[in-house]
Amino acid sequence: MKKRGRINLVLVMLICVSTFMPGAEIFAQGKNDSIKEEVTTLRDKVTGVEERLAAAENSLEKMTKIKLSGYIQAQWQYFGNPAVYPNNYFSLRRVRLKIEYKPVEGVAFVLSPDFSPSGFVLKDAYVQLNDPWLKTFSLWAGQFNRPDYEVEYSSSKREVPERSMVVRALYPGERAIGAKLEVAPPTVPLKFQLAVFNGNDHLVIKDINGNDINPKNKDFDNYKDLMGRLTYNFKLGNFGGLDIGVNGYYGWMKSNSTTVLNSDYTLYKNVSVGQSVNRHWVGGEMQLYMDILGGMSIKAEYMMGINAYPGAVGSFSVQDPFHTTLVNDTLMMTNMITNTNQINPTIRRNFMGGYVYLIKNIGKRNQFAFRWDFYDPNTKLNGNQIGVVKYDNGSSDIKTTTTIDGSNPVIVLNETTKTVTTNTLKSGTSDLSYNTFTFAWNYFFTDNLRIQLAYEMPIAEKVGVDASGNSNLVKQYTVNDKTITNNYNKGFSQNVVTIRLQAKF
Amino acid sequence: MKKSRKLIAILALLVIAVAGVAFSPAPKKITVKGSDTMVILSQNWAEVFMKSHPDIIIQVTGGGSGTGISALINGATDICNASRPMKKSEIEKLKERYNTMGVEIPCAKDGITVYLNKANAVSELSIQQLSDIFSGKVTNWKQVGGSDTPIKLYGRENSSGTYVFFQEEVVKGDYAPSCQSLPGTAAVVNAVMKDANAIGYGGAAYAEGIKICKVKKDANSPAYEANAENIKKGLYPISRYLYMYTRNRPTGETKEFIDWILSADGQKMVTEVGYFPVR
Repeated sequence: MKKRGRINLVLVMLICVSTFMPGAEIFAQGKNDSIKEEVTTLRDKVTGVEERLAAAENSLEKMTKIKLSGYIQAQWQYFGNPAVYPNNYFSLRRVRLKIEYKPVEGVAFVLSPDFSPSGFVLKDAYVQLNDPWLKTFSLWAGQFNRPDYEVEYSSSKREVPERSMVVRALYPGERAIGAKLEVAPPTVPLKFQLAVFNGNDHLVIKDINGNDINPKNKDFDNYKDLMGRLTYNFKLGNFGGLDIGVNGYYGWMKSNSTTVLNSDYTLYKNVSVGQSVNRHWVGGEMQLYMDILGGMSIKAEYMMGINAYPGAVGSFSVQDPFHTTLVNDTLMMTNMITNTNQINPTIRRNFMGGYVYLIKNIGKRNQFAFRWDFYDPNTKLNGNQIGVVKYDNGSSDIKTTTTIDGSNPVIVLNETTKTVTTNTLKSGTSDLSYNTFTFAWNYFFTDNLRIQLAYEMPIAEKVGVDASGNSNLVKQYTVNDKTITNNYNKGFSQNVVTIRLQAKF
Repeated sequence: MKKSRKLIAILALLVIAVAGVAFSPAPKKITVKGSDTMVILSQNWAEVFMKSHPDIIIQVTGGGSGTGISALINGATDICNASRPMKKSEIEKLKERYNTMGVEIPCAKDGITVYLNKANAVSELSIQQLSDIFSGKVTNWKQVGGSDTPIKLYGRENSSGTYVFFQEEVVKGDYAPSCQSLPGTAAVVNAVMKDANAIGYGGAAYAEGIKICKVKKDANSPAYEANAENIKKGLYPISRYLYMYTRNRPTGETKEFIDWILSADGQKMVTEVGYFPVR
């Protein structure tokens, strides 16, 4: 029985094995098929992902060719000048966006608008072609910064709120339209820039009626201006480095007037409208970087030359109301028309100006800055000579011709003195020299966020007094129905406090 | 009473201990960031230095020379590792923000090694041939004495100092679009190891499991391998300094760390890692 039972058990086992073996094979094969199917599905999915990734990479690569940067400067200012109203306010000084697109190696398009509430302004708009072989030359065309250290030093990096007075006067708006060749060999610490510009960029040039004839920055003469800058960097071992440079401006502008005056308001020469007047100056610069208990630098620039203000000529007529005159017991009625030919002379002023910065970094986050900048727009006149009749422009200023006509009977008054000469142009505020002292403290929360506290003290040179002891130069303003008098003999505050928060990306 | 005295004594001790911990000087931290080529070397330096200076913590990260220099400029690191000198534009940024020119400390020498798969028949190439290969002018191994198979290019990302150095010294132009950018030299070595048709480049310290390609200055010059002797003698044509940069002259613990790196002990580790000492 036991034997039989064993046999039965073996038989059952054999039956089971024989029954299930093919099933197991089938099961294994089925599993393989399903794995294969799964692998194929996964492979397809991976291929799909790869394709999508390639497409995304392609799009991303295009995006990497576009670089966006910019900054916002929000500030509160207090003005010490009593003629400024309101004397304190919040404002957005700069709201810049810079878009840089590099479609291929060596080519860059740059566009930089400013969205300040005072009005949209296009700052940079240029194409830059870099030589791909020597990596030394680059050609710029469009609107870009004039080649000068302080001009090219971005406002987002500057240690004090505004550029120095001389730079603001010579290069208003900083940018100009033209073309520039830049030579900067990668292995030599030298940089040379040679630019040609229209030359009238952002200058305020007025016609005889006081209208700006340069509002759209479109050139209005055939004269082009040349500007160059050459810099060289010396390494001073572990002490730091010294950068030195020279720059020059060689430009011309058409005279809008027939008279050109010297700096001292004497006649230089008579010209015809359209003839050129010179705008020539030269400058030198240095930046010394020292590693003394942290970073420290001294930066300076000096410029001198002749700057021209193009003047204007024009004529206008004014018809006065009827005049009545009693002549030999007869009442005569006349029409009086005044024809005025006005000449605002072109003035070529000898000027000089410059600045010295002292900047000290304190740790990673704090920075102290001091700047002394000076600007004398007319080196030929000193303070005592400003506003004095001697320095009026004599008879070449404004000529007024008065004629009288009307219905019969006509009486001509003062027939021999039709021409009336008035002297209104004399040296004034635009001839005053300034020394400005600026103190600033910068705190960098991060590299992108800083707060600046600055105190700016512009000090105008003092003018003399006349025989009665009155100042030779006063300016009066009406502020809230009150008359404010700025007396340039006694001096007055023009100080400005600025607290500025800058966010940069 | 005795119990309460004991308790007071224990509490007093605890207070002193807590106060001691609270007022004990925090460990000084030095951050080092930059070149991937230098990561291994820099980490080894940091580990050994920290053992002998337990009060100093040194944090080392890679990211590439460009990334390290950016971090130095924006104040995110104390020391930047760079396998290339700082560019003019980068020095200008340092001047603008910190009014310094930066301090350059050459701390090791490296021969940029050209990696080939062990199965590759080619064993030496001239600089011109390497330029042609990486710029895409030569696309088949047959053109440089190998088998008739397409060349697969592997390189670094453009934030890498090695990428820039190899481009300036060897390729002298743009890399071929087919050159695959990999994040780190180890990834390049790995890719070359797996692909019989591959070629890559990177620091000598990573050259394991691949064939090192000898390099000739020109077609008529002898080929040299990137080893200590050839680099020291100036025979190997693609050698460079590895640098550390600081914003200002180093002081305190940073100076201590850098001085140690330049000492015999620090320079010994340069050789151990596979680079070449400067002293």
